[in-house]
Amino acid sequence: MFKKILIANRGEIAVRIVRTCQEMGIATVAVYSDADRQALHALSADEAVPIGPAEPSQSYLSIDRIVSAVKQTGAEAVHPGYGFLAENADFAARCEQEGIVFIGPPAEVIRSLGDKITARQIMQKSGVPIIPGMLEAAHDPAAWVARAEAIGFPLLIKASAGGGGKGMRIVLAPADLAEACRAASREAAAAFGDGTVYLEKFLPKSRHVEIQILADRKGHTIHLFERECSIQRRHQKIIEETPSPALTPALRAAMGRAAVAAARAAGYVNAGTVEFILDPEGRFYFLEVNTRLQVEHPITEMITGLDLVRHQIEIAAGRPLALTQEDVSRRGHAIECRIYAEDPEQNFMPSPGRIAFFQEPTGPGIRNDCGVYAGFEVPVEYDPILSKLVVHAETRELAIRRMIRALKSYAVLGVKTPIDFLLDVLASAPFQAGETYTDFIATHFADWAPERQALELAAVAYLADAMAPKARPAGRAAQAAHPGPWHTLKHWRL
Amino acid sequence: MDYKLKYNEETIALAVETAGDGRLSATLGDKKMDVAFERISENRMRLVVDGRQTLAFVAETSDGKIVMVDGRTFLLADERATGTRPRSGAASGPKLVTPPMPAVVTQILVAQGQTVEKGQGLLVVSAMKMDTILTAPFAGVVTRINVAEGEKVAPKQVLVDIEPSAADAAGEEAHNG
Repeated sequence: MFKKILIANRGEIAVRIVRTCQEMGIATVAVYSDADRQALHALSADEAVPIGPAEPSQSYLSIDRIVSAVKQTGAEAVHPGYGFLAENADFAARCEQEGIVFIGPPAEVIRSLGDKITARQIMQKSGVPIIPGMLEAAHDPAAWVARAEAIGFPLLIKASAGGGGKGMRIVLAPADLAEACRAASREAAAAFGDGTVYLEKFLPKSRHVEIQILADRKGHTIHLFERECSIQRRHQKIIEETPSPALTPALRAAMGRAAVAAARAAGYVNAGTVEFILDPEGRFYFLEVNTRLQVEHPITEMITGLDLVRHQIEIAAGRPLALTQEDVSRRGHAIECRIYAEDPEQNFMPSPGRIAFFQEPTGPGIRNDCGVYAGFEVPVEYDPILSKLVVHAETRELAIRRMIRALKSYAVLGVKTPIDFLLDVLASAPFQAGETYTDFIATHFADWAPERQALELAAVAYLADAMAPKARPAGRAAQAAHPGPWHTLKHWRL
Repeated sequence: MDYKLKYNEETIALAVETAGDGRLSATLGDKKMDVAFERISENRMRLVVDGRQTLAFVAETSDGKIVMVDGRTFLLADERATGTRPRSGAASGPKLVTPPMPAVVTQILVAQGQTVEKGQGLLVVSAMKMDTILTAPFAGVVTRINVAEGEKVAPKQVLVDIEPSAADAAGEEAHNG
């Protein structure tokens, strides 16, 4: 087993990886940019190495700086977390060249699955259902029109190198096709350095259901059931749950088998996620493979009792998977809410700033994977995720109630968060009925405004706070107010 | 004593009586609440309102006091403290080129001396991986660019000065009159 691992990431995911390493007796190295000198992840590891300016391209995205931090500290392996370099095939290849173990799949697997057209070809060859659409790149309008007619409208333009909704367009009518293709291609070229786009059928009423997989170096591959992640804003997930309210046991088994087949077809190693679109008739289609630890992995950990980061590290160290498919079982229901620094009243606009007060929820079945603390200045340079609040309970209904209780006791003052918004989503009839489709927020919460019922109570709290004198702890005065044992006992002699 | 608290665009008027013994009674419209209160720490207040206990969390900011009760968070400000300031947003806000949130300037799209149309993109700011284009609030000439690419900027900071064109200024006066 490794003696030391460097975590090439920041925030809550870096903190989460450090915790498993500590439990495994592995020393940890954190890296931090100038903006993150006092970030929780930098304070959590055994060593912390500065890697450059706040600008991601000069720190967390700089392969040279990460590699030199590995050399400098003598770490044997790198865990990339999610985002940043996690799905960067060049980084994985560089690690392989430098004799550093990359905790993830081989560089070539990342490369082929990162190209969506190639991934679709792999899946089609191995019999995994794909969304009807193109299997090759096309660069001229005549080819787009011909293919669009075969696919039918509405259709979706996607960037082959894409992700995160960039270079994506929904086209409703043939007249809009050429211009939309050109715009998507420009956007993709700017974001990914590759303007290749392709067309596939757009499935308006659908769910996003993904299967977690684990594969060892010998090709032994299992799945750890599904996660439903249909509640999204700007094509980014904000609530995830498992099991999916839409899956029957037969459908779950079929999707699990398809995910394992997809992983085998791609030569997959380590933890990964096979994403599917599920239509209302129960037909599912391959979407993409995420070749990394997923943001929402904790809900799978809650229902299976497995530590995915531990399995990632063991697989990377060359150990065979100790689990068979039959060993894996699930229990209860888990939900995750992503707590971002953002303003749900202003179209989820980022809301960086200083956290003035912070109190995390606690209690039975509650887990909060968190990367911040009171007094921390949330930087403007990075993804606005503060924490992931996760609950586990016996049933979906009880998990929803538990999440509502947890959210109500989660105090984040100083930056805006979607906590109020999430409370209303969880309490809503369509969410409770499991009617969770990817258009959920647009359909049910487009004109959301904060609940006002507690406003009068808040006004009273304002007055009470203004009237109750505040202690002014200042140096010695504060010590006198709360004398410790060393003060009160100083005249004692034994 | 009367308080006027501002919440977004509305005013909450409260008549408050207190004996200074950790109790107060507040009247909002026709509703009266008897409240016992106690400070637990700088950011925590215990409230007992008409017999029901609640823990409230509070934090002071430059814009007012953030209050969280029953899982809901509100930004409240004393109108006396804010009353003399120009109302943000309504009059001055949309006329200034200022970022909606703390951000980094990633691209400047215009040059000093350049004539711009209303709605034309002036610069791109980025916060937490999201790009926002700031546009000209009216037609005119760029008289000064106050920032450089890569610079950190905050709301209320004016990033670009624009001298309104004559036609636009006249229209504006007519509108104000």
